[in-house]
Amino acid sequence: MSPNNIISSADRILVTGSNGFIGAKVVEILLEYGFSNVRCFVRPSSKLDRLKQMLAKYPAGKTAEIVAGDLLSREDCQKAADGVSVIYHLAAGMEKSFAGAFMNSALTTRNLMDAFLEHGRPARFVNVSSFTVYSNLKMERGALLDETCALEDNAQERFDAYCFGKLKQEELVRQYGEKRKLPYVILRPGAVFGPGKKALSGRVGIDTFGFFIHLGGENQLPLTFVDNCADAIVLAGLKPGVDGEIFNVVDDDLISSGEFLSAYKRKVKPFFSVRVPFFVANAMCSLWEQYSKRSQGQLPPVFNRRRAAAEWKGNRFSNQKLHERLGWKPRVNMEQAMNAFLAQYESRTP
Amino acid sequence: MKSESKNLRIAIIGCGKIADQHVFAARRIGGCEVVALCDREVLMARQLGERFGVTACFADAGEMLRLAKPEVVHITTPPQGHYSLAKQCLEAGSHVYLEKPFTVTAPEAEELICLAERRGLKLTAGHNLQFTPEMLEMRRLVKLGFLGGKPVHLESHFSYGLGDASYVGPLLGNRQHWVRQLPGQLLHNILSHGLAKLCEFLDDDQVEVIASAHQSEQLRSLGGAEILDELRVLIRAASGTTAFFCFSTQIKPGRNELRICGPVNSITVDHASGSLIRHENRSYKSYLTFFAPPLVNARQHFRNAWINFKNFLTGKLHQDSGMKELVECFYQSIKNDSAPPLSYREILLTARIMDEIFAQIYKPKPPVSKPSP
Repeated sequence: MSPNNIISSADRILVTGSNGFIGAKVVEILLEYGFSNVRCFVRPSSKLDRLKQMLAKYPAGKTAEIVAGDLLSREDCQKAADGVSVIYHLAAGMEKSFAGAFMNSALTTRNLMDAFLEHGRPARFVNVSSFTVYSNLKMERGALLDETCALEDNAQERFDAYCFGKLKQEELVRQYGEKRKLPYVILRPGAVFGPGKKALSGRVGIDTFGFFIHLGGENQLPLTFVDNCADAIVLAGLKPGVDGEIFNVVDDDLISSGEFLSAYKRKVKPFFSVRVPFFVANAMCSLWEQYSKRSQGQLPPVFNRRRAAAEWKGNRFSNQKLHERLGWKPRVNMEQAMNAFLAQYESRTP
Repeated sequence: MKSESKNLRIAIIGCGKIADQHVFAARRIGGCEVVALCDREVLMARQLGERFGVTACFADAGEMLRLAKPEVVHITTPPQGHYSLAKQCLEAGSHVYLEKPFTVTAPEAEELICLAERRGLKLTAGHNLQFTPEMLEMRRLVKLGFLGGKPVHLESHFSYGLGDASYVGPLLGNRQHWVRQLPGQLLHNILSHGLAKLCEFLDDDQVEVIASAHQSEQLRSLGGAEILDELRVLIRAASGTTAFFCFSTQIKPGRNELRICGPVNSITVDHASGSLIRHENRSYKSYLTFFAPPLVNARQHFRNAWINFKNFLTGKLHQDSGMKELVECFYQSIKNDSAPPLSYREILLTARIMDEIFAQIYKPKPPVSKPSP
């Protein structure tokens, strides 16, 4: 553990979403670093076997707390934030409705920040957002997408409730930073992958119509392996001098959508896929969007130009800021990461 | 009370998931304008307002009614707030659209209806499945006398999958969740859609109800505690019409159907496929009885598919067409000072049957008698 961290190993740390795909890894890395006072916040309905097994592996896990609650309850947020110095806020609702996404991303975050400021010892609030907040509608294909790029300004038109929730969440965090002096850092991970998550990223393609449509072509994928992503998140809560900063989280040596799909087909199973170039996908999405408007939503605008751009237009990605300001280095290189991701399919029960 | 203004001024109280559908419906209708949004959590009102261009957002219903002066208020809060909010709106002179379930109990529903009638205002319940194209067609046939008389027997099936983790997860994980606080819990929030269809044709206010419910294996494995999710109900009206209602989370594929059996012919309405099948009382000679009816049915299924396809091409096959139709009919009844689209008798009977079902299936267990010393 670095002596330059903003907190000591005995300070209390809260991790929300700690039973999730990334959250569990964040807890594991904190324990690995020797933090002995980790509080894991979980949903009351969560199955905790995996988290408990992981805690049992580390000496510091014996002193870790598990607190079950609902972040929509201010009382539960108070319980969670009491005496805490750093919050890693990973809990997120994967709601399809805009209201639900707002409630589970923005309202929960507001409640947690209020509780942190009132009942905690705020040293850092690490808000885990997403790449989804960016809009590359006006960017050239292949242009560099970094932390300075424009954010989505019409999530409703993009028909992306998750994006809306995350945008509003970030907005609130920035407001709390400005008006109530909350020390915060925002992280925007790209496509997080690893063992425990089998679904292919939508940036590769979709199988909505009964066969796989490969839409990503040779676009670079903003991949981040779960261990690398979790490490970046942990560092964001510990490093001094980064308050108010935003970091994109992607790995080194990114591969293309085509490379990812080929590796998947080779290792997991061969299947039929049709490659559709971006200009065709964009034109189809545009037609869908126009029909949706003309028919007053008879077909919901699930395919539209904003979504087409965000997922399949193709950009380059940089993690320079992550390297320079947080001193982050990937724990696992891309080859090892791909092997670990694909190996999970081998352990299928017969 | 006839509405004088050109555009009806609409307000929404409760800006959760269902509120979006109400705003969309109002937008598609025209002749109305959403002028105010209200939610106890004002950020919820603002997020809806930001997406639909409504700037008047309130956290307090009284303030909203005073300042925005809406002619119609849609109440889309959890049911526990329906009675008091609707009362407040009616007292302020607004017509009220209440999402289902209309109120938590039947006496609350009775009070609201009395108050609306006293004040010359209108009320309706969010029984939007009563207004889908296939239900409108069914009603047209019934009015034309297709059944050949009063319904003899009715059957309503309503399915609800437990697969929506975003709804079921929080509900099961939190004993304080508003659904868990309702007398009928999970059933209370959903039943009225399926029951209202029966109540429309049960022509008595007092009916005999026998209800039986249990918890499915799936819900038990999800940690459903005391929640019941498999319900069967037998209903008999004094006039002799009988009805069967089945609510299930387990039947696959899910059934969402109404069958009306008349003394001459019968009708089946299937919401899942948006279709209507007429069952005509024809007799066929000899083995034709095995060949002709399936072909007649096939022709009807083909016709249903063709109608739906035509509606799709002309932009009339919206998934929430029932809500749009109901809202439009409600607004028309306000503008023309005519009868609201759902009769108050139907709303009240639905509420009374629900009360009776929950009293039967969630009745307190008799105390265990202690042996005397």
